[in-house]
Amino acid sequence: MVKLKVKLSLYNLFSKLAFTVLFIVFMPFIFERINLRQVDNDLINKREDVIRMISEIGIEPFVESDSTGVFGSFDILKEEFISLEKVNLEEDLNFIEVSVRKIDNEEITYRIINYTFKIDGQQYLLEVGKSLSSIHRTQADIYRVLLVLLIIIIAATFLTDLQYNNYLLRPLDRITGKLTNISTPSMFDKTLVNTKTTDFVKLDESLVGLMEHIEVLFRKEKDITANISHELLTPISIMRSKLENLLLTEGIGEKAGSKIEESLKTLYRLQTLVNSLLFIARIESHQYLRIETFTVGSVLEEVCDEIKPIAEDKEVTLKLDADQDLEMHDANRSLLFSMFYNVVNNAVKNTPGGGTVTVRSSLGNSSKHIVEVTDTGKGMTQDQIKNLFSRFKTTVDRRDDGHGIGLAIAKTIADFHEIGLQVISEKEKGSTFFFTFFKSS
Amino acid sequence: MNVLIVEDEKSLAREIGSFLKSENFICDLAFTGKAASEKIAVNLYDFVLLDLGLPDYNGLDLIVEARKNKVDTSFIVITARGAVEDKVKGLDLGADDYLAKPFALVELLSRINAVARRKFNSVYSDVVLGEFTMLVQARKLLWKNSEVDLTRREFDLLQYLVLNHEKVLTRHQLYEHIWGNILDDQYDSNFIDVHVKNLRKKINAYAPAAWFETVRGVGYRVSTS
Repeated sequence: MVKLKVKLSLYNLFSKLAFTVLFIVFMPFIFERINLRQVDNDLINKREDVIRMISEIGIEPFVESDSTGVFGSFDILKEEFISLEKVNLEEDLNFIEVSVRKIDNEEITYRIINYTFKIDGQQYLLEVGKSLSSIHRTQADIYRVLLVLLIIIIAATFLTDLQYNNYLLRPLDRITGKLTNISTPSMFDKTLVNTKTTDFVKLDESLVGLMEHIEVLFRKEKDITANISHELLTPISIMRSKLENLLLTEGIGEKAGSKIEESLKTLYRLQTLVNSLLFIARIESHQYLRIETFTVGSVLEEVCDEIKPIAEDKEVTLKLDADQDLEMHDANRSLLFSMFYNVVNNAVKNTPGGGTVTVRSSLGNSSKHIVEVTDTGKGMTQDQIKNLFSRFKTTVDRRDDGHGIGLAIAKTIADFHEIGLQVISEKEKGSTFFFTFFKSS
Repeated sequence: MNVLIVEDEKSLAREIGSFLKSENFICDLAFTGKAASEKIAVNLYDFVLLDLGLPDYNGLDLIVEARKNKVDTSFIVITARGAVEDKVKGLDLGADDYLAKPFALVELLSRINAVARRKFNSVYSDVVLGEFTMLVQARKLLWKNSEVDLTRREFDLLQYLVLNHEKVLTRHQLYEHIWGNILDDQYDSNFIDVHVKNLRKKINAYAPAAWFETVRGVGYRVSTS
């Protein structure tokens, strides 16, 4: 993952480099074209000059002075030349070409304008030429200077881009900074980031708005939870008191007593169900604090102590192997107790006499700590595993499965603490529950 | 002892009242916060059982009021909301204990007794159970001069039965008292039976204990007389 400002600067750099490469590839061609056009214009102007001179002073001074009937003139460096000669051609010429001329045993490439004209029925050919090597030399010089300039410009703009992007995106950094390391909306810093960029202002405002909205929803959920619990638990409470008073009445027979106890049992079941659902709702709406520091081993020990008598009674061996311990920070001990308790208790419940339940605390690797709860029970099918942690789906055959709402509670607590909870199971062989503690959390 | 029951559910208030009367408390009822406020100002109560979910009053304000008027009453807060915040707030304001609805009447009684004991600085006296003696303060069960080796939970169980002697306690009432903080569907399990079985085995190794009864279909009872 790369930061936005780096991405932007890199994009700028690459696009500039791409344009530069294109420029470098086409520059010689363009330069050549511009140069040639200029040379050609030059040649045409010179031709006009010569023609003007001829019309002013006549052709004679040029051709008569020489017995060969050819007039030639070039500068000392042989960069330019003019020649005029009598010719007899069938057609008139007027074109520009590149041609090699031999002057003083030196072959030089010239750009030459060929032009014929007639004076008194005599056809003359005028050639004005300009050496191309001089043109190429200047071209290469300009080329070098431009290249250096380009590199300097690219480097300078890349650096300023980086700085500017940095400055421009600083509010975004601040906004994302507000979002990291918060676990509840109430922890979100609602002061707006100071920026004049409309997009960021909008982003920040909508984030603050959303967080406030979620907070209100959380609060509402808390209220609903409280109200529902009040509504449901009050009638249970009344019935319970009545039945308990009835049970304490002198002289009720054994039959009536056991009927009352049965009714009470049903009521307890309802109470436990309501309380479990409320418990889950409260964890999910973050009504529990995570402020304690303790070791996972101490909790596992306590859980095993609590369940041991039941396991012994069933003749199930309950083993605790907690050589590797993990210190938990910012956690809730009684919730973690509930989490492990429910899973270990579930394992013992589902293991027939003679079986073994093993609780093992081990180091996964440097970033993980793993607690495994393995039983030699009847195991589960994939379908059963799929619905294992859901609150309602297993209710139909919950009694047969032996999985109560306890596992849903365990899962909720695990989620609340960012602990991974997975199960693998093989029918008739047993199941293993894995708790994965990520050390950064 | 005088008890004021502040509870807007009249039926529940009367039920608690009739139970406490059978335990020789003098009970008064208030169905609204206003009525409760007046009664607390006028009468002297040893205990106020305070339901926080009153229609006209924030129950916690009654504690604040009472504390301001220097009324020396112990408050036991009862709530069906059961939120952790409520509990902390209630205890912070000076409530003496906290009970979540629905609760067992015997649990309420044992809480009242515990608060009373703290208030009057009284210690538990030793209880004679047939050939055994329970040293409540020292958490020991003795047969003649030898100690019966009980686990913490086994002792808790026996002590709760002893505190509520002559009453039949259901398995759930026992479970709730001892493992109340653990939410689990133990309402039909043999959790308590296992502990009782172990407890019995240990006691019977010394001497038969006719005082420790199983009431068929209902639960367990300890008789001290």
